[in-house]
Amino acid sequence: MHKEERGRAWIPAIVLIAVALTQIVLARTAALSPWKGGGFGMFATTDGMAFRYVRVFVVRPEHSEEEELDIAPSQTDAAARAQLFPSDTMLNRLALAVVKRERRYNRLVSAIRLEVWRTEFTTGSLEATDRPLRVFTLHVDKSRD
Amino acid sequence: MWTKAGISSTSDSGPDDIVLRLTALGLLLRPMGPWEVRPIILAIAGMSLLLPRVLRASATWYALAGLVAVRIVVDWPLSDNHIYLLAYWCLALALALGTVNGQRILNTSSRLLIGLVFLMAVVWKVALSPDYLDGRFFRVTFITDERFATSALLFGGLTESQLDGNREYLWPLPDGAEILDGPALVEPHAFRIMVALLTWGGVIGEALIAATFLLSLAGWNLAVRHLLLLTFCAVTYALAPVAGFGWLLLTMGLVSCTKEQRLLRGAYISTWLLVLLYSEIPWAEVLKDWLRVV
Repeated sequence: MHKEERGRAWIPAIVLIAVALTQIVLARTAALSPWKGGGFGMFATTDGMAFRYVRVFVVRPEHSEEEELDIAPSQTDAAARAQLFPSDTMLNRLALAVVKRERRYNRLVSAIRLEVWRTEFTTGSLEATDRPLRVFTLHVDKSRD
Repeated sequence: MWTKAGISSTSDSGPDDIVLRLTALGLLLRPMGPWEVRPIILAIAGMSLLLPRVLRASATWYALAGLVAVRIVVDWPLSDNHIYLLAYWCLALALALGTVNGQRILNTSSRLLIGLVFLMAVVWKVALSPDYLDGRFFRVTFITDERFATSALLFGGLTESQLDGNREYLWPLPDGAEILDGPALVEPHAFRIMVALLTWGGVIGEALIAATFLLSLAGWNLAVRHLLLLTFCAVTYALAPVAGFGWLLLTMGLVSCTKEQRLLRGAYISTWLLVLLYSEIPWAEVLKDWLRVV
């Protein structure tokens, strides 16, 4: 095979390797789910969508206690992304979606706190325990309320 | 866009039409992506099935590779792994169609892609995942994932009430909480055997496929490569609900079959259709009902 032909044959494989290595780094350092990101870690671990979840808390002005909110249908896509890859960008996007919805209902917000959790199972007895993966807080600019 | 210049004038005959058609068919059978790319992917895939010039134009496959890549970026990180593989595969087709030895180039591309996919799957299962080799992944999956429930009942020897109890058992409790007389985990012998077979059969099978596709083989060893891939697809996609992945692997495996290898080509196409049937017929449910009647 000529050099140019070999190059053409290898290009897709090189892209695969680059993406897969990036996925491993992100999974190890930034809590990307092994199921996602092009590293072919699906069906290898329970650490997928089914065993991760997000909790949303809102802090309101002049209220000392946080209020936990359900994920609204309009936020499920952003929540799924944040669950699978709890990066600042994904969490910020979800927090902004929550703020936007609260404002739509004329509810004041001073901060949004998000928690991403993962359920793990012990080796023998499969006892389930939850472990926090990330906590993220978005402080809301009061002048915009 | 699809001018003569984009159509391969090959010294070998280039990739078989059937390979291109099966790829396009897979795209049509599993529409993907947000509205910005979905209709364009469907239109190009549809046109390629209808118009041979579009089918064999490298521009078609560059466009599809680009659109699938756009879908991955827009949907990040939601896309499944086979969508990434689809993008690489469309790129491989585009690169091969634009040259004089397209078939030879595509043989190498497909071999490398299949080998690397399985290599990465093995790396995750053996070296990176903390809960695969000890069987936890399949134990938890067969109990909690509704898509595998029928198989757990059919092959794992669980009853429906045991499965419900196991699900309750696996529900995490708040810190410090304990349930008095809560459900116990029930794992019959058949369930344990099924988990062990899938855990070890899966990783050994995938390692063998990776090795046979990444190593340069000749003679009867080539037949082993095909046999392993065909067996993997016939077994795995009966349970795993990702037909698109199976179709891609089979289409890529078909690339290296010569026109004279009619039996092997037939086996690939039959298995492609079998995966289609798996995805459209709830065969495990039908079998479970039938066994109940018998």
